[in-house]
Amino acid sequence: MSNNTKTAGSNNPFDIFVVGARKGFQIATNNLMPNVVMAYVIAEILNLVGAMQFIGQIFAPLMGIFGLPGEAVTVLLTSWLSSSAGTGIAVSLLAKGIINGTHATILIPAIFLIGSQLQYMGRLLGVADVPQKYWPLLMLASVINACIAMIIMRFIA
Amino acid sequence: MKIDGMKWLSAFDFTTLGGTFGTMKEPAKNTFLGAGGVSAKAGFLFALSLVPTVMLALGCLEIFSHYGAIRAAHKLLTPFLKPLLGIPGLTGLALITDLQSTDAGAALSKELYDQKQITKKELVIMGAWQYSGAGLINNYFAIGSALFAALTAPVIIPLVLMFVLKFVGALFVRFVLNVVYKEDFRNEQ
Repeated sequence: MSNNTKTAGSNNPFDIFVVGARKGFQIATNNLMPNVVMAYVIAEILNLVGAMQFIGQIFAPLMGIFGLPGEAVTVLLTSWLSSSAGTGIAVSLLAKGIINGTHATILIPAIFLIGSQLQYMGRLLGVADVPQKYWPLLMLASVINACIAMIIMRFIA
Repeated sequence: MKIDGMKWLSAFDFTTLGGTFGTMKEPAKNTFLGAGGVSAKAGFLFALSLVPTVMLALGCLEIFSHYGAIRAAHKLLTPFLKPLLGIPGLTGLALITDLQSTDAGAALSKELYDQKQITKKELVIMGAWQYSGAGLINNYFAIGSALFAALTAPVIIPLVLMFVLKFVGALFVRFVLNVVYKEDFRNEQ
């Protein structure tokens, strides 16, 4: 999906829309749905074994800085592995009433600023040939970004 | 065997993990998702409810890109790059492309470096810009749309904030490279 996106050779806006919508369906079925199902199941496991409550207590002081309940840290930790999974966890916490809309608003920029870094080590830093020596620095920059985002969103949400 | 009081054991039970669909407790309020569903089944129905929004979002995105949103963004960004990040304006396209596709953006950066259009240091700064919030616009609308209904602020605000913070992160990396890793880049330029 580069900037010279192939649009089925048609200039008709309806056809262009359909090409995009088709990509949307691919993303939804290939990336979004499996990830959301996984996130719902993991959240349920964490809940059943009592880890969610434990994590919530441990991280409550830290997350309090950003105006979030302790459990919200699971969203951030998961986002680091995959932003789809992180979003899925956020959605399931919303459904359970552990976080509310305000918390989700604070979390959403942070989810993507640190999102999928594990994957993107290969797909971005590896592909672009950024020397490995600087990878931790780039990760640190992303974490700082996420923290700044949450502090700013706290006043907007 | 009596396993009352050992509820955590059910975390290893496939049937439990399969979960339940929600039910129509209040048909006036509940959508087809129902209320009170858990685990895989609830997750699947919820994910299904996201598909139309994602298709709409990417359909619109496709139209915007087709009519030159990318080229316009490239033009707007170019004047900021040299003074702000110390990287040449020609990197603008690789950066803007990263907003849409992580992989395409990474490939373009690599091409610039291979053609010796940018130095190693500039590559690292570009990497920093691209890495935090990679594939921003696509990811935000494709994945983040799951949370849009719950947001208490306009959808555009987090997007703008993330875009600005991409610069903040890259500036931070530029600063660290200039201060801590100065020796690494002595032979460049």
